[in-house]
Amino acid sequence: MTPVTAGGLTFSPDGKVATLQMTNVPIIDQPRWPAMDAESTPAFMDFRLVLKAGEEAVRYEDPARQYRFEGLKASAQLEATFRVPSIDFTFKTDPLEASKSDFAVMGSEVNGKYYEAAKS
Amino acid sequence: MVIETRSSFGWDRRRWFRLGIAAAAGASLPSAILRAQSAPQACGPPIPGDHAPSNGGPCPYPIPWLDKNGNHNQSPGPNVELSNIYHFKGKLARCNGFHGMGTDNKGNRLAWGTGTTDYSYMAGEYWAGRQARQGVFTHT
Repeated sequence: MTPVTAGGLTFSPDGKVATLQMTNVPIIDQPRWPAMDAESTPAFMDFRLVLKAGEEAVRYEDPARQYRFEGLKASAQLEATFRVPSIDFTFKTDPLEASKSDFAVMGSEVNGKYYEAAKS
Repeated sequence: MVIETRSSFGWDRRRWFRLGIAAAAGASLPSAILRAQSAPQACGPPIPGDHAPSNGGPCPYPIPWLDKNGNHNQSPGPNVELSNIYHFKGKLARCNGFHGMGTDNKGNRLAWGTGTTDYSYMAGEYWAGRQARQGVFTHT
């Protein structure tokens, strides 16, 4: 998990489109993951992720684990550039519109100490 | 993320090019909630002076039942905890299972993405160090 820099997450006026954009995010290239002894190499990533809310409402809740998510099914597209300087490798995805995802949701969540307090 | 070669020339150095497993830019996050690799920890619990109580640091608290190994090792989907932060309320989105194509610096066309290509944002209030805090985080 990474803190998002100021302005990195923006929403359309109606809140239905979210854009997350970050540059030079330190990551690792770990070709043999999840092997226990998988070596890793420092790498960097620039990316732009666009989520668009759909119409179908979803609600995922587990009182035992104290979380509740309420939102909408969504679509998500991603474009990114990855750099592994030590091996002079870069990879750039095709433009955003060429990607697709299998699962996406947008909404709001309460969990932990906020779970009971937010019950309506 | 896994980038698999689709080159007809058998180029496969990047066959298991896994990125996104560890976005370790979180200079203010604990290693427990970074994915795999740790960054310098700037939000660890401060050592109180003058016998003051120790209330913990400002790092977001991880999901207790998911982060035993320091990884958020659960794919998003219906009826699972989607947040990476416990004691959180705010906006959240999560997505995974990306598919696409791209090009490396040698001109090879490669497919990228698997079911573990997993992104999210969490923007809102979280509780840490016995006080509410505001933050925006992403899981990449």
